[in-house]
Amino acid sequence: MWRATFKSLLARKVRLLLTTLSVVLGVGFVAGTFVLTDTMNATFDQLFHNLTKNTDVIVQSRSAFDSAGSNNADQREPMPDSIVHTIESVNGVAKAIPQVNGFAQIVDPATGKPIGGMGPPAIGASWSGDPSEAITLRSGAAPHGPDETAIDAATARKYGIGLGDRVKILFEGPSHLFTVTGIVGFGQADNLAGATLAVFDFPTAQRVLDKVGLADAVDVQADPGISATTLRDRVAAVLPKGIEAITATDFADQQAGQIQSALGFFRTALLVFAVVALFVGGFIILNTFTIIVTQRTRELALLRAIGASRGQVTRSVLLEAATLGMVAGAIGVVAGIGIAVGLQALLGAFGIDLPSTSTQILPRTVIVSLAAGLLVTVIASVVPARRASAVAPVEALRADGAPAARSLRRRVPAGIAVTAAGVGTLAYGLVGGGALLFVGLGAAVTFVGVAILSALIVRPAATAVGWPLRALGLPGRLGRENSRRNPRRTASTSGALMVGLGLMAFVAIFGASVRSSVDHVIADTVRADLFLSSSSFEGFGPDAAQVLRTLPQIDAVSEFRVVQARIAGGNATVTGVDPSSIGRVANLEMRSGSLGALRGDAVLVQADTAAEHGWSLGDPVRIEFARTGTQTFTLAGTYERDEIVGQYVIPMSAFEANVTTQLDQAVLATAAPGTSVAEAERAARSALTDFPNVQVRNQAEFRAQQAKQVDAAMSLITALLLLAVLISLFGIVNTLGLSIHERRHEIGLLRAVGMSRAQVRRMVLAESAIVALLGALLGTAVGIFFGWAVQRSLADHGVSQFAIPGGQLALYVALAAVAGVLAGFVPAVRASRLRILDAIAYE
Amino acid sequence: MDTSTTTTDLPGPPSTAAARAEGLRKVYGSGDAAVEALRGITIAFEREQFTAIMGPSGSGKSTLLHVMAGLDTPTEGRVYVGDVDLTTLSERKLTQLRRDRLGFVFQAFNLVPTLTAAENITLPLDIAGRKDERGWFDVVVDTIGLRDRLRHRPSELSGGQQQRVAAARALVTRPEIVFADEPTGNLDSRSGAELLSFLRQAVREVGQTIVMVTHDPVAASYADRVVFLADGKIAGEMTEPTAERILDHMKTLEA
Repeated sequence: MWRATFKSLLARKVRLLLTTLSVVLGVGFVAGTFVLTDTMNATFDQLFHNLTKNTDVIVQSRSAFDSAGSNNADQREPMPDSIVHTIESVNGVAKAIPQVNGFAQIVDPATGKPIGGMGPPAIGASWSGDPSEAITLRSGAAPHGPDETAIDAATARKYGIGLGDRVKILFEGPSHLFTVTGIVGFGQADNLAGATLAVFDFPTAQRVLDKVGLADAVDVQADPGISATTLRDRVAAVLPKGIEAITATDFADQQAGQIQSALGFFRTALLVFAVVALFVGGFIILNTFTIIVTQRTRELALLRAIGASRGQVTRSVLLEAATLGMVAGAIGVVAGIGIAVGLQALLGAFGIDLPSTSTQILPRTVIVSLAAGLLVTVIASVVPARRASAVAPVEALRADGAPAARSLRRRVPAGIAVTAAGVGTLAYGLVGGGALLFVGLGAAVTFVGVAILSALIVRPAATAVGWPLRALGLPGRLGRENSRRNPRRTASTSGALMVGLGLMAFVAIFGASVRSSVDHVIADTVRADLFLSSSSFEGFGPDAAQVLRTLPQIDAVSEFRVVQARIAGGNATVTGVDPSSIGRVANLEMRSGSLGALRGDAVLVQADTAAEHGWSLGDPVRIEFARTGTQTFTLAGTYERDEIVGQYVIPMSAFEANVTTQLDQAVLATAAPGTSVAEAERAARSALTDFPNVQVRNQAEFRAQQAKQVDAAMSLITALLLLAVLISLFGIVNTLGLSIHERRHEIGLLRAVGMSRAQVRRMVLAESAIVALLGALLGTAVGIFFGWAVQRSLADHGVSQFAIPGGQLALYVALAAVAGVLAGFVPAVRASRLRILDAIAYE
Repeated sequence: MDTSTTTTDLPGPPSTAAARAEGLRKVYGSGDAAVEALRGITIAFEREQFTAIMGPSGSGKSTLLHVMAGLDTPTEGRVYVGDVDLTTLSERKLTQLRRDRLGFVFQAFNLVPTLTAAENITLPLDIAGRKDERGWFDVVVDTIGLRDRLRHRPSELSGGQQQRVAAARALVTRPEIVFADEPTGNLDSRSGAELLSFLRQAVREVGQTIVMVTHDPVAASYADRVVFLADGKIAGEMTEPTAERILDHMKTLEA
């Protein structure tokens, strides 16, 4: 029995290859995701440990909470730099080196544009030049004095900055020109995980980073023979309250851990796409095995006739699937390493640079990937295996071989039940529990349900879709008939494409809805004429707003700053605003209290959020800041529109008192009365030439910028979904190949009675175009439904508008049809090259 | 008994034969595994005649038919349909010739299952994008007596009906020659007789030329002329055959 299984596997190499490929890609994506994220984790881990290699203990102020993953990752109160003397006095301390760090963005001297920022941070730090520190000098000399800096080797190389060059560096405060005296690295690495770095001597760093008299951390080195833990305990004993000593190893672990938790989200996101790819691969396995079982009916019946039990037949098919799954899994793991490199390139193309060192292939990666391949193939082949076991021994004796077509009627209740279950789960995920897992599961089940039901509409739908193919004459007609002759096969082949197209359509619709909603939000809530934003994630220094205030062409100027904090046990974003001007640039739609009350320890809370917490005017709202700990505010008002300011708004004075990093996330401004917006814009631009990281936009540009951000995210997701589409195209190739094998006599007959090779090709291409079009149209329909459902569920969370990008969807469908034709090309050529005599030979 | 081939003195001036072959050899495989299916055959098929090719299995009769019909290429020798030498034609020209000038009836897989009986009959016309200009369709359909079955798919027709549809398809383009490869091989004797009568009628009444391969003496007896094949060579022929005489001759071949 087993030998028969393996022989039948090997007898169909090409088919096997294509079928395997559909699983390999999915498994490869799983493996690739793990390899990529493991590699990144290992890189960061190594990096942080290298950084603290020569340090034994690190002294820093305590963080009220861990704000990893936020824009304000270093929310620790700086310590007085005099702490160094206290530490030096401890027995066993060899050296104590104070450090400051902060935001410092180097401006490219060639273009005048700030370097980096939309990914790894732009870091400024102090460096004494001490060779025991993590930073090492590559060339030149350590910076000394107020006008010297050393920059990282990667930035220097990439932007052609050399020793003696003058570079401008931007800070939270005023920017400044420096002479590059040195190029630095981190041991072997040219930069710190993609971050740009500018180092200064300690006093200069304190000044430019706005930390005069302060230190962010003190690196402590132990005398020989003193262990890090011993030193830590000794140092900790002399430290004042609120300041802690930890070993360098713990520190590196903590830092790496923060990165790892951020990467965990990234990994999950990528795995979602891998699961989509595997899901589509499952469709193809199901389809391929169903066809193989059908074509092998006589062989299976013979096995049954000579005494194989039903169970043995089932197991033989499952074993065939399992073998295929294992092989695909193994190839997938290898492919995954390649995909990891590819993913990195893809993310790089979207501006997300990721560091990497040696590729990490963990046992977990191999096990999970193999299991994924195995699971998908075996689960997908359960139905075909059961069908195989239902073949009666008597079928071996039947002349025509092909079993009678089974009725589609049983599909109706099954399809409706599965679709309903899918939609129900989706609705529960969206509205009820809000758990994304349910949304995904519901979507997957809905796809299966629609695929089951779609077999019922294949015949009329293929007739309709294939109508224009009449222009191709008989080949077009035959292609259309062929797509109709086995509705299940057509349904599940196009079903695979439906999944990819459905998700792409959903993403397009969601993107369009978000864009449209953003436009509405801007129209409803923004009164400003000009928008200042940063070219980096970090924001920009407060000076820009001050410069703007001096311009006669500008009337109101209002800053917005954000920080991650904890409120009522959960993470929350708190926005600091200027109470005197916010009302003139934005419309928050106050529900109670007033904007005027926003001063001192007052807080405004979005109305629904306040209601959820049961807060009313005058109630205390406790906000826990990383720097200052829990502070009590008083609810001074509630507002409706949270799109600009989020859920919590505090006055700028309170923000400054509680938050370390004072960078403006955005500044909104209005033109002075009697001044045109264009004039105000010109004035603002020329006044802000010294702030190259600040971008000035008018309303139209701001809108376009918002749309661009949405589009960039949607493009990235769509690019990742293309993998699923690609896999489904393999499915079309595979199914058509199998169908052609099945119809070889018929094709031989057509050739014998005079059909040309070109006509045979056209016939196959017509069929493949119809299958692809059906999948694309079904997918679009399901995608529109998903888009609508998700938009409805988010209507109160900023996605108020539902928009269908008709042109884009039409383009998708057209491209899918073209892709279908391309996919049909190989089977078409094979069909046209069938040897007529073989095809009309009797068995 | 006359065992010589009828036209041994070709080539010469254009023959009146519908199709002919000269010095045909066909070898399958190469080296030790080479099998010589045709070992030098020269033969002509006259117009408006019903010729049967008979021989024991392995005699090369099907190969001869395939080569004559342009479905297979000879290793050596020439094949003419009318004055056209098939061995010089490109694949495309050959396909066109089959479509426009030849008709086929096979033992099985004769019909396209997705098309109705009527559509199967007009298949060669539809492939060529032509219309049945001469009303020949109606004549053929009435002759085979399947007018009430025209809208049925092949799966809804009996084996005999399917073969009659196939014969109608072979005749509807008024081809110069119809090649039939064991057309009654899968039929019971009554259906077979109906089909053969129909083919003979086409020869008698409208002057169709038909070449049929068969191993059945009764089927061959419907022909005007029977050509015997053995071991890839012509082994005699017979005009105005009867099943008995054919059987007798066959016995001498197999002995």
